[in-house]
Amino acid sequence: MTIDRQKTKEEVIDALHGVASEMHDKMLKGNPPTMTLPVRSKSNIGFDKNLGVYKYGKKKTIRDATSLGSARQLLRALHITEFVEGMISDGKTSTLREMYYISEGWGHGKFSSQNESNGVSEDLEIVTKCLREDFGLRPEEDGARIIGNVTFEERNRKGDWMRINCRDDVGDSGYGVPYNVESEKLRMIDEDIDFVMAIETGGMFDRLVENGFDEEARCALVHLKGQPARSTRRIMRRMSDQWNKPIMVFADCDPWSFRIYASIAYGAIKTAHISEYLATKEATYLGITADDILAYDLPSDDLTKQDLNALNAELSDPRFATGWWQEQIQLMQEIGKKAEQQSLAKYGLDFVTDTYLPEKLGALGITY
Amino acid sequence: MDPAERLSSKQKQISISEFFEKNKHFLGFDTLQRSIITAVKEAVDNSLDACEEARILPEINVEIKRMKGDRLRLITQDNGPGIPREDIENVFGKFLLGSRFHAIRQTRGQQGIGITGVVMYSQLTAGSKTKVVSKIAKDSSAVFVELGIDTRRNRAIKSGETRDTWLDEKTEEVISHGLRVECEMRAKYQRGRQSVHQYLRMTSIVNPHASISLVVRDRDGSIIEEGDWQRTTERLPREVSEIRPHPHGIQLGSLQRMLKESQERKMTSFLRHNFSGVSMRAAREILAAAGLDEGRSPKRISADDAQGMVSAFRKVKLLSPPTDCLSPIEDLLIKKGLSKAIDSRFASTITRGPKVTQGNPFQIEVGLVFGGNLNADGPIEVLRFANRVPLMYQQGGCLLTKGLEAVDWKRYGLDHPGGKGIPKGPAAVLIHLASTNVQFTSEAKEAVSDNEEVFEEIRLAMLEVGRGLKGHLKKSSQRKKAKEKFELINIILPEISKKSSELLSRGEPDLAPIITKIMDAVFCEEELGWDAERKIATCSITIYNYTARARAYTILAKWPESEETSIAENALGGKKQANGLWAWRLDTLNPGSATTIHFGVSGLRKGEWSDAEIFYRGNGEVIGATKIDEKLLEELRKSEALEAAESEFQNPEESISQLKERAEQSEVSQPPSLEGGQTSLFGNFSTNDTEEVE
Repeated sequence: MTIDRQKTKEEVIDALHGVASEMHDKMLKGNPPTMTLPVRSKSNIGFDKNLGVYKYGKKKTIRDATSLGSARQLLRALHITEFVEGMISDGKTSTLREMYYISEGWGHGKFSSQNESNGVSEDLEIVTKCLREDFGLRPEEDGARIIGNVTFEERNRKGDWMRINCRDDVGDSGYGVPYNVESEKLRMIDEDIDFVMAIETGGMFDRLVENGFDEEARCALVHLKGQPARSTRRIMRRMSDQWNKPIMVFADCDPWSFRIYASIAYGAIKTAHISEYLATKEATYLGITADDILAYDLPSDDLTKQDLNALNAELSDPRFATGWWQEQIQLMQEIGKKAEQQSLAKYGLDFVTDTYLPEKLGALGITY
Repeated sequence: MDPAERLSSKQKQISISEFFEKNKHFLGFDTLQRSIITAVKEAVDNSLDACEEARILPEINVEIKRMKGDRLRLITQDNGPGIPREDIENVFGKFLLGSRFHAIRQTRGQQGIGITGVVMYSQLTAGSKTKVVSKIAKDSSAVFVELGIDTRRNRAIKSGETRDTWLDEKTEEVISHGLRVECEMRAKYQRGRQSVHQYLRMTSIVNPHASISLVVRDRDGSIIEEGDWQRTTERLPREVSEIRPHPHGIQLGSLQRMLKESQERKMTSFLRHNFSGVSMRAAREILAAAGLDEGRSPKRISADDAQGMVSAFRKVKLLSPPTDCLSPIEDLLIKKGLSKAIDSRFASTITRGPKVTQGNPFQIEVGLVFGGNLNADGPIEVLRFANRVPLMYQQGGCLLTKGLEAVDWKRYGLDHPGGKGIPKGPAAVLIHLASTNVQFTSEAKEAVSDNEEVFEEIRLAMLEVGRGLKGHLKKSSQRKKAKEKFELINIILPEISKKSSELLSRGEPDLAPIITKIMDAVFCEEELGWDAERKIATCSITIYNYTARARAYTILAKWPESEETSIAENALGGKKQANGLWAWRLDTLNPGSATTIHFGVSGLRKGEWSDAEIFYRGNGEVIGATKIDEKLLEELRKSEALEAAESEFQNPEESISQLKERAEQSEVSQPPSLEGGQTSLFGNFSTNDTEEVE
């Protein structure tokens, strides 16, 4: 399956005009304008066997202009369409935040908060099946950092291709992943690694860098920065597809970290419309698991009420419907504890690279 | 002096100081904070009572100044009738002086021992004398005098008495009548819920005919707190008549005293002349039930026989006592008073009809204000009053509070966690109990004691103001929804149409059928205004038909009809439906069309008309208006016809035959009960309201 498909300008504008057409056609027939969207909740995501990821199901919701709130959303969608058309013809991009400020000039179509503008942009992506990168809209959050023996070519502002090796050409902070990692912007050139290690926290990323884990274990280290940005998930997907490397996810042991893993492996609920571009079904959850807390006797904290609620929600989340996850979640509920990645430091700074990771990776058949 | 006499005099001296000391908690002087409130209370209550009796509109100024140590100086001045020179000692110097000791009527009543207590407290704590200036209208000059209390002889000692012209300190004008009292005492000024400021604020609410001001100054003269509550009406409270006690309210002791003091020779005349509600027939039945001979002399009735009479009172059916001895504030004035003191959006008030409990007439009044600047988070403010006197302490144990708490406020739009206690929300509730005999839980007179009939009246009054609030909230939310819909169809929809047409380079669609589909309702919007030039209150009512069918309606509007007001401008004509209710029959409204009724009312002042209520007659629902209840309207019209007939009956010019004709025309089988609550008569007054039936 080829996923490296970018839509042409015409395709994007046609798709956006489809949204306006739905409204206009309804009005011509004397009906209130509408916008049809898939239901965006846990209840409407299902496993797509062909794509191997979780996608929105068939449930649709019709947003019609019979209430003030919905009518405003429709008007905003039209304003965004107009704005995106303008940017596409001028060859510009803008951040979502910039668009939020630009909407100040949209009169009754202006956004009252940035969440609102993000929401409507996502709606348009879903309805048009375009990526927001197609619209020229960039997220505010920056992408991840990568350290390891991999080589990319990135097109810089001047339009020239710049070759970067993520071990030799970067400092300790690594290579910064740009917001757009599609082939028009980023080319995958070369690699000499066995796997990709995605790390939740900056502290652990820096620990592995300092300990030289990337060279020792022949891997690329990717810092996720919490819930990973789209471009981070997308670049991991490309490394997995094009270089055929396994992705190991190394995170804290708490319900929120499980969701980070799920969004990498199966797709996030919010972005289920583009799961096939973002999710890497080959990603494996390495740790820290509830078993590890017991096996390594890690320092731990009690689960809070919110943690327990999150765990309960995960039990009914189709993405966690496997036997292994159900066991892990139930075990965690049983012991009532959670632990951070850095709790491994209990046994010294090198414990994670000398003992923990070799043992965990070895169990998965990766040795070095 | 004889040693025994000396001893007794000493005992007496001790006993008066001791009496004060021992009882200061119920005399209102138990804490330094409370002492100043009590002192102000005694002075202001006296002023209000004196003005009321002399039919003068009160102007009362209160000044408090912090002095050295924990001392305060209090100056109160009024424009009342003043006190004649020879009575000053009695008013300020004697305990338990009561000119109305036996009279039964609604009075503010004294807190503890009245102003004498203030003089006493001042003397005991600050060792200072009370300075009094009194001017009565018929004297040419005012009396200036200093007073202390001779604790041995239980009377006032006057000193430094002079006569002079009394000039107002600010205006330097000669004061023709009034009273000024100045004293110093150990006390502490405190702000907040239990303060002089709150006391005067509350007093001004229930005495809308009084202008009251307060200045509290620090030692350096800077102002700590001040208030100025101007009168909102020139109408003095009704003069209350005294009534004789009713047998259902009498205690054995009082009966024995009355028997002993009676000049009547026979028991029948004793009963008829000393009590209200006792007819000759009733007097005979009482005596028969008590086994007493009608001809016996009252002075010779034994304690046992008196006890028999008390039980006999219960067995015999008696007329209720007259209720004209009560002086309610009346709902319109409560509304004015409340809106003067509290900035709010909505006020609902009710004065219930007078009722009787245990031989005592009483009347309940309740006012509720909502919205505006009121704090939405905490419990609502409860303003309790007994005979126009604010009750500031022991809120929880008071019957007035219990009556408020007995209502399920959630049903009426206030937050009421667990349905218990004081409800929460941006509201304040005023409760006024007017009675000839307010029963308190203790001598402190801060909490009204339990009484089933009074409780029930409070509860019913609360339900009425609650219904008013519910209607208001429903209307507000309807209005908000209507406003949103109007924005949707007038602004957003045209923009969606324009933008989508532009993007697609297509023609714009016709919006009319879409608007009808979105709205699918008839809307009514009213706007009240003020024509400053012509001094006319204006009202515009617009009806929009956003349905797919043509509609025909009669629109009715409530307006403040009275002898002073009239409809000044009314292009559409229409006709009167009932008192304060005007009706217009509208031409058929086609789909998508609107029509406006515009009329004006003269004889009102700006802001006096703040709440119009719109009703309609016709099919379907009109958002923003209430469907008129034809049954209630009919009853209302009949009762008005009956009233008109009655007033003509008292008019000799009208012939009886004409009158008869009219009365027959109106076919009134029984007069409807229309106590107060006019606000809810037409609309929300549903007969299947379960709380109403209970």
